[in-house]
Amino acid sequence: MRSQLTAPLAAALLFAASAVAPPPAEAHHSFAMYDPDKLLTVTGTVQIFEWTNPHAVIWLVASGQAEQLTDRWSVELPTSPGNLTRMGWTKHSLKTGDRVTIALNPLRDGRHGGSLKKVTLLDTGQVLTASGTAPVASNVK
Amino acid sequence: MGAALAERLRTSAPGALSRVWAAWLFAAFCLVGASGAAGQTPAVLNPAPTPTDWAALGRLPDWSGVWIPESWAVTTARHPPTWKPDVAKQVDDLKALEKAGHPKGLFVDCLPEGMPSFMIMTIASTEFLFTPGRVTILNEFDGNRQRRIYTDGRGHPDDPDLTFNGHSVGHWDGDALVVDTVGILPETYLPISQAVGIPNDGDTHIVERLHLVGPDHLVDDMTIEAPHVLAAPWKVTRNFSRTRERRSDIVEASCRQGDFVEGKDAQGHAAFLPIEHTAEGAPLAPPQTEAKP
Repeated sequence: MRSQLTAPLAAALLFAASAVAPPPAEAHHSFAMYDPDKLLTVTGTVQIFEWTNPHAVIWLVASGQAEQLTDRWSVELPTSPGNLTRMGWTKHSLKTGDRVTIALNPLRDGRHGGSLKKVTLLDTGQVLTASGTAPVASNVK
Repeated sequence: MGAALAERLRTSAPGALSRVWAAWLFAAFCLVGASGAAGQTPAVLNPAPTPTDWAALGRLPDWSGVWIPESWAVTTARHPPTWKPDVAKQVDDLKALEKAGHPKGLFVDCLPEGMPSFMIMTIASTEFLFTPGRVTILNEFDGNRQRRIYTDGRGHPDDPDLTFNGHSVGHWDGDALVVDTVGILPETYLPISQAVGIPNDGDTHIVERLHLVGPDHLVDDMTIEAPHVLAAPWKVTRNFSRTRERRSDIVEASCRQGDFVEGKDAQGHAAFLPIEHTAEGAPLAPPQTEAKP
């Protein structure tokens, strides 16, 4: 039989945690905070390409005309370096200083974050996407 | 060992008094050892595999390579669970939150996803290792999770320690691996998305039948019994397709590295610096007016 916290103790610990605990780890999250029905295009310069798990991330310094497109954006790729590698990406696919246009699903709350749909390297015309991994056999149940 | 201890004490502490102490210590050591041995279950040893055991592995089906799962959304939409009525209402509420853009993060704390998420929800690749008496499943998901399935004929422990992936035993039924899993932590989710899932609440029992249905197509037919939250056993199948491309080899996949950005600490050393996130877990970059990391 596993020991269980009594309700008053659990409530006390929860209260204490909410008062003093550091921000929770985020890690592997749903992408529902990005609006899949809205596609935004942001042009700018890559500041950082973080080749990290569970999701790679681009920091983009936008150079658009509209005010909301001139800040630094955090653009999250929807999967991990392992899966991105299987799609043909490498840690060198983007580098600091690359001029790019990124199509993204933006955060619903208006902050400058998004989920990457497509990135175009303006100097080469190369287009990279990050959807799917590999085809599952067609005769699935 | 007791005699050796007595000898060391005798030789390192000359004199009659020391010899008396050594005798006492030796007697005490023997008494403790004897009573301890009497109260213990004899150790069960895992026998060393023989050349025949290793050769037998060659007769098993070929599951080598890297296995890429289908979308979890496809899996759970095709075979949704039947929740108990009160739990179904909770699931509807979680779906509404997800649809509104405020997903509950089932896996944001970096605890192991556990079973059955290990097989149902992973979006990363999987590999199977066969060794005598065991199948090991390695998954790239959020920290390189792993399952050990004992195929040496043992059963489950009478009172297993509860763990995220539970205790698994298996046997080969022709070319199918049949796996029985119990001992799963009750907090482990039964998930239908990365934001919609209900803790199993205990007493969960999972039976899997893993087998090839094509040269590069493996399925895991699962039957999940979770009597506290499910109205009926959940029968769900996950499909995996094989790749042998070397670029698809399983790689390290830490769970929380993305919560940080690479920078420098106060002494100028390379360091991971925490970054801000939205409440739902999306990473945010600092405003452009702030210093670069």
